[in-house]
Amino acid sequence: MISCTEFIAAYSELFKYLEKRGGQEAVYDFWNYLADNFLGNLKDLVVQNGIRGCWLYWSHTLNEEAADFTMTLDEEAGEFSIVMHHCPSKGRLLEWKHITPYPDYCKHCDVLYRRILEPLGYEYIYDLSHTDEARCSLLVRRR
Amino acid sequence: MKQVMRRSAADNIYLHKDFHGAMSTALIYLQQKHGDDAVREYLRQFARTFYAPLTADISRRGLVALKEHFEQVYQLEGGQVQITLSGDEMTLRVEACPAVMHLRSKGQPVAPLFYETTKTVNEAICEGTPFVAELVSYDDATGRSTVRFTRRRA
Repeated sequence: MISCTEFIAAYSELFKYLEKRGGQEAVYDFWNYLADNFLGNLKDLVVQNGIRGCWLYWSHTLNEEAADFTMTLDEEAGEFSIVMHHCPSKGRLLEWKHITPYPDYCKHCDVLYRRILEPLGYEYIYDLSHTDEARCSLLVRRR
Repeated sequence: MKQVMRRSAADNIYLHKDFHGAMSTALIYLQQKHGDDAVREYLRQFARTFYAPLTADISRRGLVALKEHFEQVYQLEGGQVQITLSGDEMTLRVEACPAVMHLRSKGQPVAPLFYETTKTVNEAICEGTPFVAELVSYDDATGRSTVRFTRRRA
C-alpha cells in the first residue's frame, strides 16, 4: 500500500511518467479523466448547493490535508475564494529533496476544478504565480 | 453574509484518505489507456525514486528498516498488521488494507491492478538490497495480504 501521506509524490511521478510517454497532452488527458471520474462529489455538491457546494467540498479536503488557508464564501455576491498560504502538497514536494517535482504540478488544480465548475455556470480564476513558494489562490464566481 | 474559515497546518492532522481514490482512479486510467505493463512500470519507477532513502536504509540496517517503515505507515493509516522479523526473514500480514477499505466504504472502484501498489512497490523497494519481496497472498475484496521478505539468493 502506498500511504495517502505519500500520494503526492506518486501523483507527481505519474505526471512525469505520462509526459515521458505521450508529452504534455498525455498529462492533460489524465487530468481530464480524473475530473470526470473522481470529482463527481464536487460536481454533486455544487449542483445541489450552488456556490456553497465549493465551501462544503474544500472544507473537507483542505482540513484533511492540514492546509494553511483562508477560505471565504459570499453567497449573496456569488463568490467563493481560497487563499492558500502554504499548500501541503506542493510544500511536501519542495521539502523532499530526493525527488524532483513535476514542473507543472500545480496546473492540475487549474485543469481539474475548471473542468467541473465552468460547465455549471461559474468562472474559475486561479493564480499560479506563487506556486514555487507553495502559495496560490483561487476565486470561483457565479456568471 | 460572508463566511470565513482560517486554518493553519497545526490545526489538523495530515491524513486525506480520499487520495487513495485518486490513486485507484489513476491506476484504472493507466491500465485502460496504456496497458498492464504501464501500471507496473510506473509504480516501479515511483517506488525506486521516492523510496530511495528507505532502500538505502535497508541495505545499511537490514529488514528492521522496512519493519519500522511499515509500523509507521499502518499506525498512521489505522491498519491492523502483524510483522514477524527473524534474522533474514520478515513477514508482513495486513488484516485489511486501509486504502482498499476506504475505497469500499466510499463505494469507489478499486483498480483491478491495485494489488500492484503492494507487489510491485515492495519488489522495487528491495531492488539493490540483499533482500527480495514476495507477495504470498492477496484478497482483492479487502486488500488482506501477506508479503514475505527474504535474503536474495546469490
